[in-house]
Amino acid sequence: MIDLLQVMILGATLGGVYAVMAAGLTLVFGVMRIVNIAHAAFMLLGAYLSFWLFTRFHVDPIASIVIVMPALFVVGVAVYKLLFTRIVDSPRYAEMTVLLTFALALVIEGVIGFVATGTYRTTTPDYASDAIDLGPFYVPTGQLYATVLSFVLLGALLAFLRFTRTGRAIRATMQNRAAAQLVGVNVERISTLTFGIGIALAGASGSLMSFLLTFFPSKHWQWIASLLALIVLGGMGSLAGTIVAAMLLSIAAAVVSDAVGPTWSPATFFLALFVILMVRPQGLFGKKAEM
Amino acid sequence: MAEARGPRATDRTGKPSGDPRAPRALALMGLVLALLAFPLLQLATGGFNYWMHMMLYAFMYIAMASSWNIMGGYAGYISLGHSAFYGIGGYVTGGLMTFLGISPFLSAPLAGVLCFAIGLPVGLIALRTRGPAFIISTIALLILAKLALDNIESLGGADGMSLPLPELPAKTLKIPFYYAMLAIAIAAVYTSYRIRHSKLGLGLRAIAEDEIKAEAAGIPTRLYKIVAFAASALFIGVAGGVWGYYLTYLRPTIFFQILTSAEIVLMAIVGGRGTVAGPVIGAIVLVGTDELLVAKLGSTELNLAAKGALMLAVLVFFPEGIVGTLNARRRLPRILDWG
Repeated sequence: MIDLLQVMILGATLGGVYAVMAAGLTLVFGVMRIVNIAHAAFMLLGAYLSFWLFTRFHVDPIASIVIVMPALFVVGVAVYKLLFTRIVDSPRYAEMTVLLTFALALVIEGVIGFVATGTYRTTTPDYASDAIDLGPFYVPTGQLYATVLSFVLLGALLAFLRFTRTGRAIRATMQNRAAAQLVGVNVERISTLTFGIGIALAGASGSLMSFLLTFFPSKHWQWIASLLALIVLGGMGSLAGTIVAAMLLSIAAAVVSDAVGPTWSPATFFLALFVILMVRPQGLFGKKAEM
Repeated sequence: MAEARGPRATDRTGKPSGDPRAPRALALMGLVLALLAFPLLQLATGGFNYWMHMMLYAFMYIAMASSWNIMGGYAGYISLGHSAFYGIGGYVTGGLMTFLGISPFLSAPLAGVLCFAIGLPVGLIALRTRGPAFIISTIALLILAKLALDNIESLGGADGMSLPLPELPAKTLKIPFYYAMLAIAIAAVYTSYRIRHSKLGLGLRAIAEDEIKAEAAGIPTRLYKIVAFAASALFIGVAGGVWGYYLTYLRPTIFFQILTSAEIVLMAIVGGRGTVAGPVIGAIVLVGTDELLVAKLGSTELNLAAKGALMLAVLVFFPEGIVGTLNARRRLPRILDWG
C-alpha cells in the first residue's frame, strides 16, 4: 500500500509537467485548430537551450525559463507568420496543419541533431539528485520543484485567460472563431499571439524536463505521442480536460511502470487512447462536435 | 503495364486526339520490359550491384507510397503510422523463416494478407474519429507495435534477430530481391489504379471531398474507409516482408520508425496525393534526391532537416504535388495521365 502510494506520488509529480506541455498544445489546437506535431520538438529546443545555458554559463535550468520562454515565443510567432498564415485558406486545412508541423518537427530534429549531436543529455543542478523525506514517503526534489513551477505556470496561464482582455479574446476565439471576429476580435493577431504562447509553454516544459529526464534529438517523438494521446483524452481543445487527463495518465503510467515494467509505461497512454476512442471518442471533457 | 487497359485518357489536354492509349501502352510496356531485362546487365558484367540496390529500393517505396495513397490520397485520411505494417510484415516473414524455415519470398504475400487482416480491426477503431484524432491514433498504433516487439523476447526483443542470407553468390544475390520488389511495385500500382477507377475509389474520393454529403448520398462510408485502410496496409506488409530478408536482420528500431512513415507520406505528397502516378513519381524523385543529399551533405541529421524543409516547401507552394500541379496546368505528359 505504501509502495503503491509512493509510486502514485512520483507519477503525480510528473503530471504537473505533462500538464504544462499539453496546455500549450491544447491552446494552439483550441484557437487555430492546429495539431502541432512539432510541439515536443519545440520542447526539445527549450531543453537544449537550457542545457546550453547550464553547461556554458552555469545558469540554473529553472532560472533559464526566463530566457527560454521569450526566445521560444519569438520563434513561435515567426513560425506562425512564415508558415501558417499561408495556409489559412487551404481547403484541407486540418490535415495541412498536421503535415506542416510534422515537417517542421523533422527540420527541428535535424538541426538539433546536427548542432548538438546525438549524445544523450541532461542538466545536473544539485537538486536533480536530491530527495525530500515526508514520513514514509519521499519526493525527489527536482520533481517537486518542477511540479510547483508547473502549477505556477498553469495558474498564470489560467489567470491570464480569465482576467485580461487579451485572454478573454483568446477564449472567445476558442469557443467560436467566426463569432469572435464578428464582435471585433482581431483573430489573426490572437492566433499569432496564441501560437507564440503555446510554443513558449513548450519551451518552459522543456527546461523543466531537462533535469528530470535524459534527452536526445529524436526524443520528441516519444513525448509528442504521449501528449497527443493526452489531449485526445482530454477532449481536444479543453484546457481543464487536458490538465485532468495529464494527472490521471501520468499516475497510471507510473503504476503500470511499477507493476509491469518501465518499458510498458508509455503504452499506458496509447492503450488509454484506443480505449477512449472506442468508448467515448469525444474524450473526457469534449463536446461531440469537436471531433 | 496494366494501365494500358484502362479507360481512354480524357482529352482535357486539348492536343489532337487519335487513340491516346496506344503510345502510352507501348511506352509503359517498354518500360516494364526494360526493367525486367535490367538484371541481365548485372549477370553479364557483375558491376551493377549498386544500381540493382537503388532500383529495388525505389520499387519498394513506389509500392508503399502507392498503397498509402489509397487511404491518404483518395480518402483524404492521413496516416502517419503505416510503417507499423512495414515492421509487422518484416517480422511475420522473418519469424516464419526462423521457426519454420519458410522462405520470405513465399511467405511475403501471407504477411500482406495478415497486415490486411490487422488493418480491419485497427481501422474499425481508428476510423471512429476524423481529422487530427485519426492521425494521432495512427501514430499511437505505430508506437504500440514497436513497444510490443521491443518486449517479445522470442522474436529477439529490442535487440532483434538476424536472418540467414539466401545461398547465392554475391553476383546474383540481389536478383531475386529485385524481381520481388518489382512485382510488388507493379501489383501495388495496379491495385491503386483499379481502386481509383472503381466504385470504391469514387466513394473514397467523395469521402475526401465531404464525408457527410457522401454518407447522405448513400455511400457506405464506414465500410469503404475500413476496406481502404486495410488495403493500404497490404502491400506495405509485403514490402516489409521482403525487405527484412534483404537486410538479413530485424530490429524494432529499424522497422517501426516514424521516419519511414514520413518518407512514404512525403513521397505521396511530392508526387501528388490522390493521383495514381503521383506516388510513383514522388518515390523515384525522393529516392534519387535522398541519395544525392546523403552524398552531398554527408550527414543523416542534415538529411533529415533537408527532408523536412522540402516537405514544408512543397506543402506551402505546391500542395498538389508534381502530378497534381502539372495536371492543373494541363502540362501533364500523357504517359503519366493514369487518372
